[in-house]
Amino acid sequence: MASESPDFGRDIRPILAENCYHCHGPDEQAREAKLRLDTFEGATTGGASGPAIVPGKPAESELIARIFSSDGDDHMPPPSSKRVLTPDQKALLSEWIEEGANYEEHWAWQKPQRPGVPSAPDPSLVRNPVDSFLLRRLEQEGLSYSSEADPAVLLRRLFLDLIGLPPNPEDIQAFEGTWANSEEREKAYDETINRLLSSPRFGERWGRPWLDLARYADSNGFQADQLRPSWSYRDWVIRALNSNMPFDQFTIEQIAGDLLPGATLDQRVATGFHRTVTCNVEAGVSPEGNRVDQVIDRVNTTATVWLGVTLECAQCHDHKYDPFTMEDYYSFFDFFNHTPLEVQLPSNKTDVSHDFIGPYLDLPFTAEQQQQAKDHDDQIALLQQDRDDALESEEEAYLSWERQHSESAAQPLDWEILQVTKFSSTGGEHHDILEDGSVLLSGKVPNTTAYTVETRTTLPRISQLKLEALSNPMLPGNGPGRGDAQQPNFVLKEFTATLRDHESEIPIKLHRPQANFSQKNWDVAGLIDGRPSTGWAINPQFGKSHWATFELVNPIEQTSGTTLVFTLPQNWGKGRVIGNLRLSARSQVSRGSKLPADLIAILKNPADKRSEAQQKKLRAHFEKENPTIKKIDAEIARLKKQRNTIKANQTLVMVEMEKRRTTHILNRGEFLSPGERVRARTPAILTLSRKPNDETRPPDRLALAQWLVDRDNPLTARVAINRWWAELFGNGIVATLEDFGTQSPAPSHPDLLDWLAVEFMESGWDMKHLLRVMVSSQAYRQSSRITPELLEKDPRNLLLGRAPRFRLNAERIRDNALAISGLLSPKMFGKPVMPYQPPGLWRQTGRNEPKWLEEKDEDRWRRGIYIVYRRAAPYPSMVNFDAPDRAACSVARARTNTPNQALTLLNDPAFVEMALALADRILQESSSPENRVQHGFRLAVSRLPDSRESRIIDHLLHERLDHFTAHPKEAENLLSNPHFVYQPQTQNHLELAAWFYVASALLNLDETITKN
Amino acid sequence: MISSHLQNETRRLFLQKTGYGLGAAAFSSLANADSAGAADGALPQSGLHHAAKAKRVIYIHLVGSPSHLDLFDYKPELQKRTGQLCPDEFFDTSKLAFIREQPNLLGTPKEDQFAFRKCGASGMELSNLLPHLQGVADELCLIKTLHTDQFNHAPSQMFLLTGFERFGRPSMGSWVSYGLGSENQNLPGFVVLITGQVLGAGNSAFGSGFLPTIHQGIEFRSKGDPVLYLSNPKGVSPGERKMVVDAVNDLNKEALADVGDPEIATRISQYEMAYRMQTSVPELMNIADEPQSIHEMYGTQPGKTSFANNCLLARRLVERDVRFVQLFDQGWDHHGSVFNSLPNKTRQVDKPIAALIRDLRERGLLDETLVIWSAEFGRTPMAQGAVGNGSGKTKAGRDHHKDAYSVWMAGGGCKGGHVHGATDELGYAIAHDPVHVHDFNATILHQLGIDHERLTFRYQGRQFRLTDVHGRVIKDILA
Repeated sequence: MASESPDFGRDIRPILAENCYHCHGPDEQAREAKLRLDTFEGATTGGASGPAIVPGKPAESELIARIFSSDGDDHMPPPSSKRVLTPDQKALLSEWIEEGANYEEHWAWQKPQRPGVPSAPDPSLVRNPVDSFLLRRLEQEGLSYSSEADPAVLLRRLFLDLIGLPPNPEDIQAFEGTWANSEEREKAYDETINRLLSSPRFGERWGRPWLDLARYADSNGFQADQLRPSWSYRDWVIRALNSNMPFDQFTIEQIAGDLLPGATLDQRVATGFHRTVTCNVEAGVSPEGNRVDQVIDRVNTTATVWLGVTLECAQCHDHKYDPFTMEDYYSFFDFFNHTPLEVQLPSNKTDVSHDFIGPYLDLPFTAEQQQQAKDHDDQIALLQQDRDDALESEEEAYLSWERQHSESAAQPLDWEILQVTKFSSTGGEHHDILEDGSVLLSGKVPNTTAYTVETRTTLPRISQLKLEALSNPMLPGNGPGRGDAQQPNFVLKEFTATLRDHESEIPIKLHRPQANFSQKNWDVAGLIDGRPSTGWAINPQFGKSHWATFELVNPIEQTSGTTLVFTLPQNWGKGRVIGNLRLSARSQVSRGSKLPADLIAILKNPADKRSEAQQKKLRAHFEKENPTIKKIDAEIARLKKQRNTIKANQTLVMVEMEKRRTTHILNRGEFLSPGERVRARTPAILTLSRKPNDETRPPDRLALAQWLVDRDNPLTARVAINRWWAELFGNGIVATLEDFGTQSPAPSHPDLLDWLAVEFMESGWDMKHLLRVMVSSQAYRQSSRITPELLEKDPRNLLLGRAPRFRLNAERIRDNALAISGLLSPKMFGKPVMPYQPPGLWRQTGRNEPKWLEEKDEDRWRRGIYIVYRRAAPYPSMVNFDAPDRAACSVARARTNTPNQALTLLNDPAFVEMALALADRILQESSSPENRVQHGFRLAVSRLPDSRESRIIDHLLHERLDHFTAHPKEAENLLSNPHFVYQPQTQNHLELAAWFYVASALLNLDETITKN
Repeated sequence: MISSHLQNETRRLFLQKTGYGLGAAAFSSLANADSAGAADGALPQSGLHHAAKAKRVIYIHLVGSPSHLDLFDYKPELQKRTGQLCPDEFFDTSKLAFIREQPNLLGTPKEDQFAFRKCGASGMELSNLLPHLQGVADELCLIKTLHTDQFNHAPSQMFLLTGFERFGRPSMGSWVSYGLGSENQNLPGFVVLITGQVLGAGNSAFGSGFLPTIHQGIEFRSKGDPVLYLSNPKGVSPGERKMVVDAVNDLNKEALADVGDPEIATRISQYEMAYRMQTSVPELMNIADEPQSIHEMYGTQPGKTSFANNCLLARRLVERDVRFVQLFDQGWDHHGSVFNSLPNKTRQVDKPIAALIRDLRERGLLDETLVIWSAEFGRTPMAQGAVGNGSGKTKAGRDHHKDAYSVWMAGGGCKGGHVHGATDELGYAIAHDPVHVHDFNATILHQLGIDHERLTFRYQGRQFRLTDVHGRVIKDILA
């Protein structure tokens, strides 16, 4: 390699970019001495000190003089930059200038062309062009492929890579069975790939890295970090991947599904991709500032995910290394600048957080909801039938009810004033009978008196009497007493009524006295108790009218008119006598009759003259009162209420505003410092022959999305296949999956990258096709054993002289362990789930604080992709295995190796329960004890143990069996863990407890959590 | 047989990828003298880029942000003008989180309880709300002119602690752990202790961002397992746990011999370390073994969750060479009733913090331990809510203020009894010697022997650092 001449892209640009471009690069604002070194023209024209580079003449090149200078002031890079060139780098620069200082356009800005496939040194190792490219490169280092992996290892690798779950022992045995015969073997290999690519589990496994990119989470982020519904977007991703939606369509629907003509519900759900951005609802946040932050995130994420460029560096200044200006940045920003605000100031001013107002989309009922709704509707219909039946059998009761109430209604209910025919009193007062039928006393104010009032009425029935003591302006203090204006009280001692029948006077028995008000110790009841010491008074309610009513124990019924005589003795003194009184009677006691006035009005009509509506009203009232119907109605009401709680789920989507915003460059990236106006366009360096702005409509997100997946876009296809390559092979062909810019290291296999990118586009952006090409290669089928030679020549396995070997990611570790233990729930989609997590981890402040409610059914054993993702506190066991918090787009996860991971697999109650289930599974599935160790080992890592491995396991097992046999209570103690929801079937608890230890060890093996 | 090269490679990967060991940056400096880590050659004796004054940090973050005007920055003029409408420019040009109408000024009450007193030989003025801290005033290096760019809690917490107002960047403790690693093989390099609820920035306040997660702050909790999943399941004794660990490691050794992946060697040592942590962490967390005099000094009660207990734990952690200990205490966001709430909070923290400083000093640890009192921003000299006497007085609070606030450091090579900078007479703006959050962070790294411009990590195409492209060390406060 050292003998080759320096290549600008591979060798020179990285040195210049890292050490020089900061001050002598594309950023005009930061440029020093007017010198730019990122273009041939700039370097050879030079700046303040003349040409920096004279092609072919390093000795005359200022650049060379400066980097070798020992003078601190002249030396480049300046000491203050803290950048230092190594002697090798200096030599490379010198050599490059010697050879003409050739500048090349950065490869990534040029669209990929399908390269010719090289001939491989050993054609027997070539299964497809992938191998040709890889073998050619290996040959240069004197290397070749490793031998093929064992079938069990290979099958497990395929399963874990394509569906994220391990194979069953039966799958493995069948696969191994084909291995001896090469034809059968190849058939089985291809069939397995096809089977896995069409498995519904495929989308769950490949959705995970996409959701990392989409920074999909179930919460807002920031203060309070409330949950919000986005999960149907997650489901959309899984479905889209399962159906192998072409990547161009996959792109367009997520960026701009809402803008497609006649956008379907699914296409709108897809736009959830850019609604997963964090959202700050903290009081004091400017809603506009929040919006701008969100647009910035959308711009940066789009650039990272599709273009693999660090456009974000041009947010506050022109990009230091890549040809992106601030104007490029905010022109890109303009594509995303036309969605509505997502928060507003709180409706309640004392609230400490904003209100959410971003667009939601109502989803159709899920199958479960539809079923629930139908169940309710059916039950309601049944009850309705019951009700009709009940009504039929209650018809008699109704008719009698109607008759009875009609009769009562026919009786007048209103008070009828009794006509005073004679009034006398013992106190010597003067009296007048007024027009309102009352008697007003005047003249002498006696200390004691008794009024006798004779009255006449034609009321045919009398069941209640009323006495009124009226307020009157003629009385002192407006009465009702006559004494003085300060205390116009009265004290009435008794109230008696008699019926005059010819000459005889028949006492009327009264009961149920009531008054609007009674003075303390002078209750109205005292009027009819026959005791002269008690009575009715009204202090301090002076100046108002008062009334008292009495029911007749035996109502009087006389059609020919009735004469009643009342006596009212008052002997308190001080003029405490009634000044203005009136007597009334009525035929019907209102007490007990609950019928409202409008019904009584109806009932007063004769039955045959009631309208249909009126009859309906009567029936409705009857039904309301009828105990049988009432019960049914209450049940119907309860069900209807429940039915109404079955609400459509919602999801967050993008919606374009009618009126577009104007977009400006934001100085220093601050939304309060708008600069020059810009309009949507893509970065100048990436201008394609087909521009995103056709003239007929303004360039919008849809135009941008179409541009992203334009056949001429140099980046999208390369960036996508590079990520998938890294998922399978451990490293990207471009090592920096997130950066294809000039700062990125040169691709390890540039031709292979372009071949795959073109293959991808020409296949119709077929993701599954590309994955099939990759896993069908011989490169993929190698053993992952690391030989000293490989370790020395290629320690990071960039050249793939062996298969990769690396730890599974967080979700796959969980899913794999669940599958091994047999607990894994195959349930797909829907609201996020909450399996076991240690208590006390969700403790944020603020409104609507979500609670962790541990699932107790199969939901606790669902795949990791369905676990609720709360940004402030993601699921802790997955965090321990490098799951990000999804607050921002994450392209590649770290693969650390920590003691916390050991603690998680050993002690997390979720994994402890899996160990229990695995122990149970082993005991249930393998009848003969000799097979158990083999079966358990096979479940965990797919292959069979060798004799040394078996011995280690046997040793642990027998120690444990002996121990529990001697201490059976300890087995019970172990198995009575309160975190266990799983119910083991094994009856022999000593064996189960011993196998629990083995199962736990199996789940903790490096090989179990590693793709081998 | 594993070749010697494999063993070297194993060691290299182990050092680089695993932790509680040597920091990755430190390692790359050792391996590659010309890398970003140590351009000028050999690694100094302690510290990554130059000799370190402090070996560790105890960083106390008062979540919500205390009213520094009533604790550290005495303003007689503000007292005098309490109740007067604030100058127009305070209202017109400030970003205020909650105040919506031109507010009144709010001075510290004149009661003795709130009075400021000149303390120690330095005569530093500290509020009577902090009587114990007054007793160690000569250890404090008070910075009265810190300012930040953010005025909402979560973004401001992230800005202070990660150098960036949004999610995704590593926190200071993670940078330090990445740069320096841990000197204790049984404990994480970055430990977090929390009283009250988790702050708004959530785990990002102590997250590792794009650095390997080994460098994230590990919360040691007072309830339940101190470290998640530390304790064995019911019915599994330490000896029985050892059997599983041994079996796992024996099997992993078989695999190592077969496939030769150095990662397996690392896994084996991580299982051993996990097992050791099961002893070392509970031992660390058990403060019952401290003498009565210590409990009296800190106000600690074994078995309780309290800020005092966390202060004592912080001392036990630095004693065990944990690099970065961060305490978060919630409940300082006094928008209302500041003169009722503030004394309640200072009563909880004053005594234990003073005890921590004394205790470290007596053990000879203070010189090499940097203790920091900090918050995401300050509070306004203007009142939020009613100002007045009686019930009115009790309702007034202070809003968020980003333009000037007070923090302090102690030990770790800072000047004791020193005051840096001053605010104007009303405590609204900085009069002289401003210190930006990036400067503050650069200074903390400097004390640890780290050049903040050279502790970098390459991610998504560029070199990132804690101080972005800013920050300068405040030389004036260094001893």
